Amino acid sequence: MTYLTPGDPKRRLRKIQISVVAIAVLFGARLIDLQIIEADAINAKSYSNRAVSRVLPSLRGDITDGANKVLAHTVFKYDVNAAPDIVAPFDRTVNGQKVLISVEQAATELAALFGQTQPEVLAKLIGTGKYSQVAKAVDASVYRQIKKLDIPWLFYDPRPARIYPNGAVAGGILGFLDPDGLPLEGIEVAQNACLAGKDGEETFEKGVDGIKIPSSAITTKAAVPGKKIKLTINADLQYFAQQILTANVAKLRADWGTAVVIEVKTGKILVAADAPSYDPNEPSKSSVENRGSRVFRTSFEPGSTMKMVTAATAIDAGKVTPESHFIAPFGMTIPHSNGYRVTDSHVHGNEKLTVAGVLRDSSNTGAMQIGNLVPWQTRYTYMQRFGVGSMPGSGFPGESAGLLNTKTTWGNDVVKRYVSTFGQGVSVTPLQSAMMYQAVANKGVRLQPQLIEGCIDSSGNLTKVTKDKAPVRVVTEASAKSTLDILEKVVEEGGIGKHAAVPGYRVGGKTGTAQIIDPNTGRYGNLHAISFIGLAPVDDPQFVVAVTAYKSRTVSNSLGATPIFKAIMSQVLRTYRVPPSTTKSANIKTEWK
Amino acid sequence: MSTVRLTQAPRSARQLPDRASLRSINLSGLTSSPSSRVVVATITLGAVAIAIFQLLLHIATSSSVYELSHLQTEKRELTTTTQILGQQVDSLASQQNLANAAEKLGMISNANPVFLRLEDQKVFGKPKAALTADGRVSRNLVPNSAMIRTSVIADPTSTLAADATNTVATGTPQAAGFVAVKANVANTPSAVSSVVSTSGGIPASPTH
Repeated sequence: MTYLTPGDPKRRLRKIQISVVAIAVLFGARLIDLQIIEADAINAKSYSNRAVSRVLPSLRGDITDGANKVLAHTVFKYDVNAAPDIVAPFDRTVNGQKVLISVEQAATELAALFGQTQPEVLAKLIGTGKYSQVAKAVDASVYRQIKKLDIPWLFYDPRPARIYPNGAVAGGILGFLDPDGLPLEGIEVAQNACLAGKDGEETFEKGVDGIKIPSSAITTKAAVPGKKIKLTINADLQYFAQQILTANVAKLRADWGTAVVIEVKTGKILVAADAPSYDPNEPSKSSVENRGSRVFRTSFEPGSTMKMVTAATAIDAGKVTPESHFIAPFGMTIPHSNGYRVTDSHVHGNEKLTVAGVLRDSSNTGAMQIGNLVPWQTRYTYMQRFGVGSMPGSGFPGESAGLLNTKTTWGNDVVKRYVSTFGQGVSVTPLQSAMMYQAVANKGVRLQPQLIEGCIDSSGNLTKVTKDKAPVRVVTEASAKSTLDILEKVVEEGGIGKHAAVPGYRVGGKTGTAQIIDPNTGRYGNLHAISFIGLAPVDDPQFVVAVTAYKSRTVSNSLGATPIFKAIMSQVLRTYRVPPSTTKSANIKTEWK
Repeated sequence: MSTVRLTQAPRSARQLPDRASLRSINLSGLTSSPSSRVVVATITLGAVAIAIFQLLLHIATSSSVYELSHLQTEKRELTTTTQILGQQVDSLASQQNLANAAEKLGMISNANPVFLRLEDQKVFGKPKAALTADGRVSRNLVPNSAMIRTSVIADPTSTLAADATNTVATGTPQAAGFVAVKANVANTPSAVSSVVSTSGGIPASPTH
């Protein structure tokens, strides 16, 4: 046995101790570096590899009619994408057996669902890229069918899409969104603050299988859905009016037509129909000028429907009664106007007419005489009270105030003062026209037209979204009653007006055949804006219906508008179960001897 | 051959220490008492139990997460189904579809309404057949590209025949062609919530 030379164990032990301490210090330093100095960066890098963040899209609120029928709502559509670099034949289980499906066969199946050709689809699938959009915004039903094909290299991105289930019904009012969901027209724009929701966000950690890691930190900002806008529109009546209007505008070969129905006692707009109709599901298929609503935006000289205002003004000013006598010649020259001559629409001799008769025959010369009894400044004030030249305040974006020249202009222009008595030299929108008649139907009080009931939150609380305008006392109740009696004579005895009669009901109204200025010549052309505005029942007016056909080519007077009025008014009275009238019209003479 | 490192020179026998004197010591203080054994056992078992419970909880949580994920997928599918069915109902309930279906069934809008006042049974207006009425518009003129589904209306006569057959077979008057249309009507919110019939008067809307 050999023994090693003994060393110094204490020194050796110290060396080992120093080595251990040095290693410990190194490890400790690295540990501090990893755990403290670089900890945040490492944690962040690690988290970014695991964390998934995604936007939770909010759903835009519905737009409904007055009976809560949905006119616009949001659904999900799906973008179908592929990663070409992993596109390959795949197995599909058919009747319990695995069948190999080629890419070409899959492309054929997809093409049938997308309405594309197989080569078109195939071109999007072949390549080395990581992303290719095969189809954009397909319906949920198509999405479901694609998923059934069980193609492993397709991916689906849901995106909110706006649907208008009733198509063009109230399309001009509703407006539309662009492909990115931005509102571009109508109520969609005007009430975006109510309708738009707030997108949320979700962040979570996932494993390799894509499933959330238990107890991983989840930061979620819940998406807040948009609120609901309730309109005053009656969708069924709106459809009916659009049907009638579209058919008749085609028959009249007019440029366009409008129909408005107002609930007299509330000012609610039950119908605001335009022809041509416009489908907000496919805005690109309509021309830009047809995408809004002319009911609110397009003003034009109303013509003879304005004679009601002239008569009501003169009655309220105490200058005439419905039976005051006038002699209406065929033509009259406006005094101090350098010979500006006004004629009636048809040649006739001097006719002995009452105020009611003047409106019955729609005599321009008679209306000028009635209007001339009232100082023009007073008539100007009445026109303002009737709403001419002021915003109606319906809440529809871009509504027009029409045109009422300044008092100074009127003061300097005698022709404007005279022709305004029969609806020239001023312009109003179809809605403004309807509201003038609403005023006399509502015992002389003009209300603010209402298109939007309000914004409704998820709890069902309704908030007004339009600024209230105070009702305007236009004429006294007695004057309004006298004016209604005159309007009833138009329908009872008028050559054209009687075509607006609805059996069983006392109906009042006024025809309008307005000349239209030709922009090329600056003079009135041959085409007219024909209209009829009426109300029923006269004994207790409930509804005003105003109809216009612009540039009618087959019928040049309001005989073309009365069938539309009659059909819509009949339907309105039926819809709201208005009992037939039990009283008779006032015994007012329309002529004198 | 082995080598042994000596740390010190071997001592001589004389230098060996004296034989150690042995003495007895009391070990009672070094052995654990029964109570402390219970404490140790409790702590150990408790720790094991907690570990097992935590493991089970973790397994349960994991499986719940998978179940949650599965349920969320199912919810998405059901939401999609709801959306598809909702769109179909909307299409079938749209005015355009109803107008088209009514036209196919031979129904015509009558432009000459006639009113009956119940209190004196007076008829207002002259009843005319819808076919001869002026201004009738039955064909749908208002476009709707969102109409993805339409009512299946067979020939009215065959539909009536099928209706009759179905009535015999099931005891309820339902025909395939009618089912969709009737469902639409039932699902469409009425413009007027209810109609109040007052004695002697005609049915009137509650708002008027």
